[in-house]
Amino acid sequence: MTYFLTQLANGLSYGLILGLIAVGFVIVFTSTGVLNFAHGSVLLSGAYLVASLQGPIGFWAAAAVGVVGAAVLGVLINALLVRNLAEANPGTAAILMLGVDIVLLTELTRRIGNNVLSIGAPWGADVVSVGGITLPTSRVVAAGLAIVVFGLLWFLFARTGAGIAMRAAAADSDTAAMMGVRPSRTGAAGWALAGALAAVAGIFLASFPAPGVAPTLALSSFAAIPAWVLGGFDSVVGAIVSGLIIGVVTALAVGYEAELHFLGRGLGEVVPYAVMILVLLVRPSGLFGRKEAVRV
Amino acid sequence: MSDLIRRGPMVLGLLVALALPLLLDDFWLQTGLFAMASVVGAIGLTLLVGVAGQLSLGHAFFAALGAYTYAWTVGDPAGQEAGLGLPPLVALVLAGVVSAVVGGLFSPISGRLRGIYLGLATIGLVFLARHLMVNLEALTGGFNGRTVEPFSVPGFSFSNAAPDYLAVAGVQFEGLHRLWYLFLGIAVLSAWLGRNLRAGRTGRALANVRDSEVAAAAMGVNVARAKATAFVISSAYAGIAGALMALAYGRIAPDLFGIQLSIDFLVMIVLGGLGSIAGATAGAVFVVALPLVLAQYSSQLPFLAAPGSGGLDAATLARLLYGAAIIAVLLFLRGGLAGAASRIRHRRSAHQRGTGGPPLVPTPSPDPSGATEPPPSQPAVSTRSEEKS
Amino acid sequence: MPDPLLTVDDLAVAYDSAVQALRGVSLRVDSGSVVAVLGSNGAGKTTLLRAISRSLHSVNGAVTGGSIHFEGRNLAQRDASQMVRAGIVQVPEGRRIFRDLTVEENLRVGGCTVRDKRARKEAYDRVFDLFPALAERRDARGGLLSGGQQQMLAMGRALMASPKLLLLDEPSLGLAPQMVEQIGDIIEQIHAQGTSVLLIEQNAAMGLRVADHAYVLEVGAITASGPSAELAATDEIRDRYLGVGSTSPQRTAAVKEPIDVPVHLQRPSRKAQQLRVEDLTVRFGGLTALSNVSFTVEAGTIHALIGPNGAGKSTCINVLGGAYRATSGTVHYGDSKVTALPSHRIAGLGVARSFQNISLSLEATVEDNLLVGRHRLMHAGTVMQALRLPRARKEERAERETVHRIAALLDIERLLGHEVHALSYGDRKRVEMGRALAAEPTLLLLDEPVAGMAHGESMAMADAIRAVQQELRLSILLVEHDMPFVMGLAERITVLDFGKRIAEGSPQDVQQDPEVLRAYLGTAAA
Repeated sequence: MTYFLTQLANGLSYGLILGLIAVGFVIVFTSTGVLNFAHGSVLLSGAYLVASLQGPIGFWAAAAVGVVGAAVLGVLINALLVRNLAEANPGTAAILMLGVDIVLLTELTRRIGNNVLSIGAPWGADVVSVGGITLPTSRVVAAGLAIVVFGLLWFLFARTGAGIAMRAAAADSDTAAMMGVRPSRTGAAGWALAGALAAVAGIFLASFPAPGVAPTLALSSFAAIPAWVLGGFDSVVGAIVSGLIIGVVTALAVGYEAELHFLGRGLGEVVPYAVMILVLLVRPSGLFGRKEAVRV
Repeated sequence: MSDLIRRGPMVLGLLVALALPLLLDDFWLQTGLFAMASVVGAIGLTLLVGVAGQLSLGHAFFAALGAYTYAWTVGDPAGQEAGLGLPPLVALVLAGVVSAVVGGLFSPISGRLRGIYLGLATIGLVFLARHLMVNLEALTGGFNGRTVEPFSVPGFSFSNAAPDYLAVAGVQFEGLHRLWYLFLGIAVLSAWLGRNLRAGRTGRALANVRDSEVAAAAMGVNVARAKATAFVISSAYAGIAGALMALAYGRIAPDLFGIQLSIDFLVMIVLGGLGSIAGATAGAVFVVALPLVLAQYSSQLPFLAAPGSGGLDAATLARLLYGAAIIAVLLFLRGGLAGAASRIRHRRSAHQRGTGGPPLVPTPSPDPSGATEPPPSQPAVSTRSEEKS
Repeated sequence: MPDPLLTVDDLAVAYDSAVQALRGVSLRVDSGSVVAVLGSNGAGKTTLLRAISRSLHSVNGAVTGGSIHFEGRNLAQRDASQMVRAGIVQVPEGRRIFRDLTVEENLRVGGCTVRDKRARKEAYDRVFDLFPALAERRDARGGLLSGGQQQMLAMGRALMASPKLLLLDEPSLGLAPQMVEQIGDIIEQIHAQGTSVLLIEQNAAMGLRVADHAYVLEVGAITASGPSAELAATDEIRDRYLGVGSTSPQRTAAVKEPIDVPVHLQRPSRKAQQLRVEDLTVRFGGLTALSNVSFTVEAGTIHALIGPNGAGKSTCINVLGGAYRATSGTVHYGDSKVTALPSHRIAGLGVARSFQNISLSLEATVEDNLLVGRHRLMHAGTVMQALRLPRARKEERAERETVHRIAALLDIERLLGHEVHALSYGDRKRVEMGRALAAEPTLLLLDEPVAGMAHGESMAMADAIRAVQQELRLSILLVEHDMPFVMGLAERITVLDFGKRIAEGSPQDVQQDPEVLRAYLGTAAA
């Protein structure tokens, strides 16, 4: 039972981190219609900044620089590339992001090389034990911080003028522009938020039990794609809940791999996608996709 | 006359491809094999993405399926991994058929999801493929992969070690040369079939589905079946491409068929211009040849550092150029290479507005059946759910 | 003469850099006045408003000539959000409220350009004062409001920015008569508070009631203008809306004279059958678009479905074609139950349709677009085509010939090799019609086949439709706003209003039906 609870707690904290990434996918998609395949390399950029600056300026300052840097990177990608597409549609934008991802990832891989850079977080490799359940401190901090961040997001989107304008632009950008909402601003805000969230997720994904910042960290954004898809593509709440589902399922698959050996080794890597495909077979619009009266 | 101008580059390209083996060394021959294998896969993908408007990142899955099916079918039954010991030609056909059948099994998803939503769903396939490749050791050899029997037809081997000697005009035709012509034949056949499909009833229906599902359905096109058909066709192409890759590599392992391969296929057709067979061909050659050529000649480029030294090595430069090429084409070259070529060709024609390939994936077109008469309190309900299902 | 607040000079607008939507339009709105622009569907009214509010680009349109000045400044280089800051706010057609946002949040978006907190507070007070119903439901989601409340919310949202000029796009669309009255009152109040209004209306009575000055827009050009009272006094408006004037060609005359359009099409192997629509009801969410509508299209006749904007005509055609599901009621074509079938199976029954907003493949040639119409009549399988087997090639050749004959009939043969994006609007309409005809239907559903066409063009189209119908003996159900076209072509007409059938009969009967006059011209005209 304790083992199960430990895996569950592990899964929930991992799920919250996935949620941070998946929410970034949602916000970029609803604010600019872009399927952001470069999300992983933005995440890696943020984590890389933190790892390379934490020595000289300390972890907290480095973390701040990393988060802001990733946000700025997102804004630049949007302003310089996405908005200048010769033919703006979701398909070409998605492929553009593949190109951006290749460039960013190649450069980061060159800089990092075969090293694994320490993120230098104060929680190090500490663990916390409560009632027999043991979790890395980094995961506990991550979970707490993610919940705070989600709370701030709720406040932004429900209470502030800027957030409400973003929701309006996401729902109907044409009409929102007629009301004076600047699409360039809501787009930039969306990319900035997504970048910042990705950097936060990156810091924790590079913390214990992970060894540190390595180029493979960029792949972690792929793990959040099932969460995004299950969440129904345009729902922030859906992305968070689906992140938790994927996190828990993954943790349990890893934790009980011995019992599930007939399904093969390395189950944790494939389970999120298997869940995604199974759900899509039944519900093509995801778990939280709205079934509206389909008008043509 | 205009026909000649239109066909000219194609005929010339074919002649060059036929003559090249007489001049090239093994490195170039090998590069050519990889390129032609990719051409087949890229043509299949451009039919799906460019013509039918369905994004797929699962192409590597079907290529892997084809590659392992081929290796398994021709494999020595007494060897380390399972094999049927069947003739290579049978295996080649089977690679396409198995991929097509599995592509068909995916039709509950491929027939219902649209555009980029299908693209996301198919990412799952790539990870599934890796899991299967690593775990089904008896068939795949697991993480280290398995060797692939060389191609042969009775009495005529395609392996370099083959004893039977063949020379034309003083040039000795070794295994690589023979494989070159085999690959060329298959690539040309693929292009021909692809062109026929695109120009015929099926191709027109797919393009109509891409442009407006509602209009296509009203013309009697079964939209879900059309989308599933496009997916099956592209899967079959990917399967054949995978089998050719297996032949070209001689040994296959899970790492060859990662998400990067899917991305590479997409990049090929985007650089070439979506929906264009010739574009897919050019794109495939560029994407495959670039890193190999740069690596080969890196010692002659003074600004390149040795691999692993932390400087700019050849592989890194190739990746950077590759990414930059994608970005540049999408920002500046509407319709890719094929679009640019058609603009140059039509420059004199007054009617041409100068567009290349078709719009990619679901351009959120104004709904055709009544935007000006919305039920009053239901104004233009988000088209998003429509795009998804 | 008062200062002009807004002047539009010789404005031209095109969509997709090919389709000309407005040409040479000039008008002015004086400070403190209400100006109405009247016109039917496809006349270019919304295009005009979008040109003024600089929101054309999101619908692929662009100003190609002329100028717009607001308070003496040229608007050429501005974007939509700058227009709001300059004092022009548009209430878009169909309300377009943010359905998932609450009433208060909707208003907050409307006021997003107002930096000053006190000014924003005053704007809220003013809106809630004008629309007490909104104040009561301030925390309700926009999508849950009734149609009239949504219209109020859309107007209130625009007023949050305290505009100098309010652009209203068909505020009466789909609203019950009392509600239309109330909206009219509100427009007068807004005007009284010092906001100038440019109003687009199809409901002429409503437009002329609230406006000082009115323009009539037809097929992209202004054809009449003057003080509202003068325009209302002439018969011109009535003629334009109901086609009772001298411009209406008599159907009987057309039948007597031989029609000079060659038809060499194969008659479909099957015969046209009776189309029975019984108690058809369609709801979207809580909204009823069609309620208990019944009518019958007899085999081999031309039947028209007319009614004001928002009456449910297109909804009806979309149910018949399978694009929408019926909530209740049935449609039978012969013995087949259409309402139980998906679109492509309905097409298989011999039912073909054209679309209101042309839905051709823009990058494909005209010939290929027409060939798509032949899809269901062709048999070559995927493998057969890929291998170019002789049977597939023979079929392809034969079908191309058929398509050439159809093109000849519609006079678009010379365009066969052109890509659709290079075609003019009228030609696209003809290709759209050709594609439907290519399917060899026994029942043809035409959704606004001549919307946006000039009079001469639409008459030529009427001749072509009549010729095809007589030659092939097919049934035609058409939805159209061009009344001379409808009155000259249809044998029987069903009139819809607010999703209900309000009249049915011959063109003559319908033109004199008081219910119909009221629906089209408003209560004042009846």
